[in-house]
Amino acid sequence: MSQNGPIKGVFLGPADAPYDYHGGKLTHNLILFGRVCRALGMNVTPNRMMDVGRALAHIQLGRKQDFYYTLRAHLVNHPKEFAYFDEAFDIFWRRPSEGFTTLNLQSLGEERRKKKTQFLPPLDSSPSENGAEAEELDSSMIALAPTYSRQERLRHKDFAEMTAAELEMAKRVIAKMPDSLGMRRTRRYEKGVGRQINMRRLMKDMIRKRGDVTQLPTHRRKEKPRPVVLLCDISGSMERYTRVLLHFMHTLAGSLYQVESFVYSTDITRITRQIRQKNVDDALEDIGGTVLQWGGGTMTGECLHRFNWTWSRRVLGRGAVVILITDGWDRGDIPLLHREMARLQLSCRRLIWLNPLLDVPEYEPLTRGAQALLPYVHDFLPITNLANLEVIVKALQNLSARPSADAYRQRYLA
Amino acid sequence: MYNSVDELQAALNEQDYIAERGLSVAIYLALKTGKPLFLEGDAGVGKTEIAKVLSAALATDLIRLQCYEGLDVNTAVYEWNYAGQILHLRLMETERRHSPDTEGLAREAMEDELFSERFLLKRPLLQAIEQSRDGTAPVLLIDELDRSDEEFEAFLLELLSDFQVSIPELGTITATVPPVVVVTSNRTREIHDALKRRCLYYWIDYPHFHKELNIVERKAPDVPPMLARQITAFIQDMRAMELFKRPGIAETLDWTAALIALDQNELSLETVQDTLGVILKYQDDVEMLDPTTIQNMIDRANVEAQRA
Repeated sequence: MSQNGPIKGVFLGPADAPYDYHGGKLTHNLILFGRVCRALGMNVTPNRMMDVGRALAHIQLGRKQDFYYTLRAHLVNHPKEFAYFDEAFDIFWRRPSEGFTTLNLQSLGEERRKKKTQFLPPLDSSPSENGAEAEELDSSMIALAPTYSRQERLRHKDFAEMTAAELEMAKRVIAKMPDSLGMRRTRRYEKGVGRQINMRRLMKDMIRKRGDVTQLPTHRRKEKPRPVVLLCDISGSMERYTRVLLHFMHTLAGSLYQVESFVYSTDITRITRQIRQKNVDDALEDIGGTVLQWGGGTMTGECLHRFNWTWSRRVLGRGAVVILITDGWDRGDIPLLHREMARLQLSCRRLIWLNPLLDVPEYEPLTRGAQALLPYVHDFLPITNLANLEVIVKALQNLSARPSADAYRQRYLA
Repeated sequence: MYNSVDELQAALNEQDYIAERGLSVAIYLALKTGKPLFLEGDAGVGKTEIAKVLSAALATDLIRLQCYEGLDVNTAVYEWNYAGQILHLRLMETERRHSPDTEGLAREAMEDELFSERFLLKRPLLQAIEQSRDGTAPVLLIDELDRSDEEFEAFLLELLSDFQVSIPELGTITATVPPVVVVTSNRTREIHDALKRRCLYYWIDYPHFHKELNIVERKAPDVPPMLARQITAFIQDMRAMELFKRPGIAETLDWTAALIALDQNELSLETVQDTLGVILKYQDDVEMLDPTTIQNMIDRANVEAQRA
């Protein structure tokens, strides 16, 4: 946080603005504070800082609370940023007598970063010189990993780079990929043959032809592809398919409209952002580092609960299609699984289950988990060889245009 | 107009809206700097209410645009009155036929007549801009923006920066005084940064016990004091549970009204069970509250109410 950066030349409102009483120190400090916020990941632009300057002219600077809220309303625009902002604000705007040094600010970002990535408390935590601080760090780490258990194998997953043959196959698959998994009608209109008369064009035609219109111009509802949500099981029993499945998810995310991707085993992780990277190797490496529950047990009910509570309202709008990829082996709470599947089915347009155990022709989904999933899915996709992406794509191509009514029948008439 | 945050807070208070200091500061700055106010928070915490209260306090009109997916210019900004236009066109044709010496109106003149303000149906956004032309800025509430789609968001971005609308047939209409804009979102999806950047952001949280009690007493003056405390404590307790939809202040007030209508003086297991549908709107949530849980919650609420 050097104090001699290019700060000159920023205009912060009229020169006689009330905040400038202390010889311009405040402006200087504000800009430094803006930089701190930007370093913490907030979207602080010079424009925003100028807005802050202008806004401060309207409030009484003597009230620290108002000053705080003014800065916050301008610099923060996401609830998760509040904590960062508060911390930065407290350190930055304390009285000089409290021993302010730039050192605190430098360590600010560092500490955060450490807290973010480290999920496990050190196994034999040696007491550090600064006992209070160490304690604070520890408690925040535990809070970040509330579902941690010793049995869960926390390790990073290494994915070997894609071979030339695999990349070749991916190309072939992308070419065959359906454009969408169903369309939804929007409330917008587009030109074309339809039942509704395009009144605006009709008016223009009537004026042009002096009222003698021979044809009624029409328009129709515009259609858009439905969003897709992928929920992929990455537990131990699915391990041998994980690599190819992630590859498949990467392909889907790249070729379909609005794809949200999640992986789960004992906990659920959103990987939408990571999997969107163009290069499949980069994407897989990133996911390997982010997701920490590779090859653990399967607790589908618990994971779906988390999904339904935290994510469903955000990703299942607009008539989404959900693809659940799992073998149906489950070690979790089965009644909970029933409840969560019911809720999931009610909140999406279509629920598709891809099952790799269908390898075997005489396979019947008899496991408790499979029995719990089956009544709620609209489509049960037989994948004879999950290791082959083309087969999955073919199954998706052959999907009927509408979800089958079976799910409802099984659920309500059973 | 208000000259300090305190004045604004007092004015909101007068309208029975109890605003936290941070919210008051944000509103005050929105009024002073002409920036839109962007409010996020769970359903039922009083986001929409702010716009209503603000328009009452400022004694201006409230213009509301409820967003939904596929909301387009025709429903948000303007539309032509086609039926009126066709009728008028027919009349013009007839007139021409009856007076053959006048060659009839030239095409441009006809168009000018048909596409005039007379046949313009003004939708909320245009109304807000039009009213601002007369020098009095209305309050424009853009409700639940997260329900609209990206196309509309992009359009809104343009509108909120210039406060002008162009209608091909009429020209550009610009607001002289920008309207007071309140944008709300339930956060079912993330609103684009570009839009948020132009606004003042405030997250409205569920109120703490005393604030909520204050709201209940304000909005329902005839509620017995003890019952008000019990209700507030019960709801606060409920929000700590893992519910799919936690009750908002709106639900607290609805429940209070329901209990008053049922002539209750205190919470009892039976009444709570009978009126649970006022607070909880999901069957899963209702099932979580079995009689023992409710009884425990009532007991806790009683203790809390005595103490407060």
